[in-house]
Amino acid sequence: MRSSLRHTPALLRHARAARPSCRVPLAAAVQSPTLGAPALALALAPASTRASSSSSVNPSEISHFNALAATWWDPHGSSRILHLMNPLRHDFIGTCRASSPTVTSSTPAGQLRYLDVGCGGGIFAESAARLPSTASVTAIDPSPGVLAVARSHAARDPGLTAEKLEYISATIETLPPGGGNKDFDVVTLFEVVEHVDNPAAFLDRCGEFVKPGGWLVMSTIARTWTSWFTTNLMAEDILGVVPKGTHDWRKYINEDELRAHFRGKSGWSSPRVMGVVYFPGLGWKEVRGSEKIGNYFFAVQKNA
Amino acid sequence: MDSITRRRAAAYVCRSCIRRTYTQRHQRTYSSAVQPDIYDVVCVGGGPAGLSLLTALRASPVTSHLRIALVEAQDLSKIQSWKLPPDRFSNRCSSLTPSSALFLDKIGAWDHLARDRIQPYHEMQVWDGVSDARIEFNWAPDAAPSAGTTIAYMTENLNLTSGLLRRLAQLGGVSVFGNAKVENISFGEQTEAQDLREWPVVNLAGGKQLVARLLVGADGANSPVRSFAGIEARGWDYGRHGVVATLELQGQGWGGDQMKTAYQRFLPTGPVAMLPLPGNYSTLVWSTTPENASLLKRLPTKDFVALVNAAFQLSPADLEFMHTQSEGQAEEYSWRSEHTPFHSEIIPQAVTGVQEGTIASFPLKMRHADTYIGERVALVGDAAHTIHPLAGQGLNQGQGDVQSLANTIEYAVNHGQDIGGRLSLEPYLAERYTANHVLMGVCDKLHKLYSVGSGPIVSLRSLGLNAVNSLGPLKTFVMSQAAGHGTKVF
Repeated sequence: MRSSLRHTPALLRHARAARPSCRVPLAAAVQSPTLGAPALALALAPASTRASSSSSVNPSEISHFNALAATWWDPHGSSRILHLMNPLRHDFIGTCRASSPTVTSSTPAGQLRYLDVGCGGGIFAESAARLPSTASVTAIDPSPGVLAVARSHAARDPGLTAEKLEYISATIETLPPGGGNKDFDVVTLFEVVEHVDNPAAFLDRCGEFVKPGGWLVMSTIARTWTSWFTTNLMAEDILGVVPKGTHDWRKYINEDELRAHFRGKSGWSSPRVMGVVYFPGLGWKEVRGSEKIGNYFFAVQKNA
Repeated sequence: MDSITRRRAAAYVCRSCIRRTYTQRHQRTYSSAVQPDIYDVVCVGGGPAGLSLLTALRASPVTSHLRIALVEAQDLSKIQSWKLPPDRFSNRCSSLTPSSALFLDKIGAWDHLARDRIQPYHEMQVWDGVSDARIEFNWAPDAAPSAGTTIAYMTENLNLTSGLLRRLAQLGGVSVFGNAKVENISFGEQTEAQDLREWPVVNLAGGKQLVARLLVGADGANSPVRSFAGIEARGWDYGRHGVVATLELQGQGWGGDQMKTAYQRFLPTGPVAMLPLPGNYSTLVWSTTPENASLLKRLPTKDFVALVNAAFQLSPADLEFMHTQSEGQAEEYSWRSEHTPFHSEIIPQAVTGVQEGTIASFPLKMRHADTYIGERVALVGDAAHTIHPLAGQGLNQGQGDVQSLANTIEYAVNHGQDIGGRLSLEPYLAERYTANHVLMGVCDKLHKLYSVGSGPIVSLRSLGLNAVNSLGPLKTFVMSQAAGHGTKVF
């Protein structure tokens, strides 16, 4: 099965050594430069899981996110735009679930079980656990520093009980699949796939945790000249609104690459996408077509 | 002893052990340890703003699951059962804009107000006491009085609060602490299971402690919640008092029962306003100097009535003289009015009496809090801002705050946000601060503009008033703003 995401580490190393335009098959998917586009693709700092196998977790990415731990929950700190994006994640999941009448939940009140992969300091995991429609959230991350932050922050909210929210120090490879009713209605990978060496294998592994009828939901950044300009050059190097070293532009993945990956797999359908743009002073807004340029959400449903 | 500190001694336990104790805690019940009483929303202050907020939260299916407490110093059951005979009116009234009324209707409270005690008015007469420049806010002659032409609804504050309390009782689900004195507000404690060091704890006299995810200060101009949050309120005193009274007029008004008019005249000492109540009654709001205010409160009824009539009719010089008399204003008014030409239908009908015990006064202030939000704190109503009453916007501003805060909380709940978090509360601040600031600035400037008794400013302001009066579209815009419909600017 052909997938544009199935590049080998060797290929990636080659790509890294060369230029920000990868060889086949990635190069084929690189968007034409969109310089001059009005949109701002802002890379979001925290997200830390990376793994193509349990041994491939990159120590340098982990230490990078450990260093960010202290400011994770500062609403005016370096994670502010990530905090501001969080409500859109729920909106996107809501539209995905509303688009398909399949009832996936096996819990009594129709409540949902979430798995948040690369939970970082727990911005999404906490918010998902607070929703009245949530049965439980399992959140995993391999960075011990950020998990400590996530746990101590959750302890500040007595509503986030152990039943509702559980943090596990793990990668998706070391997490044992539940199977049956233990699988998840929603598996989320927010700002994660761009930090992963072998995204194809990573996505396949994450997909194993989705229950039939459930959704695999992610957000990432399109690999365009605009996103290089805004997320690497402007956000990290010039403006410094995102900590330096957060992003490797060469690992960004385009929306059509994700579509092609899941089209090539049996068992997945109803791909959905939503492009979002950060407007300073206004916040994040959905902008149709912007998934080709910068930040976007993507989701696929596992066939029931 | 502090119920929170008593729960568990603070000792270091590794995270996985905590998780285990956490789980155990849910399996067995403690008989000795007192659980902290944790609420999602603790509202201090049971006035119109606080009660509207809680009613809105209880009425919405999104927020109705929240655990809510109300703390109020007064006896709320007395307010809930408040009742006056049909020919008696409280002296504390507010003009509710149609948008406030719509909001109250949306949360199901409007039907719980005594509707026969509410007086809609459709027209306004506003004029300059020095130059007689006038602006008439009236609708085209063929426009029938309807909800669409209502400028505002005159409502006794007690009618509003008792209606809100009845609606809240109908909805249920709020822990009400009436007759409650707030001893102090502190922060929670850290135990091994949870960290409440950033959570406000309201300590009531008698030892009851309420822990708040979100502490709402609806506790008035001297808000203890605002002090707790370390938020400054800045502004100034006007050196003026507002004198209120319930007046009896010679009739139901020039337009009868169906087309009532509000009157406001700008005098150099401050604006005097007469706002219609049902039947032959009206409510007076007269902003004036503290000396004049104390004279008004001292005067025999007939002299008080004469001075009120004079305030809408005689020249500022006549009025100034009448304020120097310790009594005898009735005689003074009767001969001076004979020699003052005026068109009777552009001023209110003559006042014939004043209801006993309704003359009162209070100092006028302008205050604006530096911010309306803090970590786990939000301020609404007078706790956030105190405004000059000349535009009758104080209570409506509070209702606007509450509507915005309720929407903000609803959004936060729908998106899994911590409703007490500053980030969740930011939209409320962004939506309300500038809007309130602009309106407060306008009212403040109006007060100062009309405090001038002579000179070029009088000509200029009169020119402005006459110009606005002659420009139909602009006037319609101003009326729509006052009525709270049309495109929202303030």
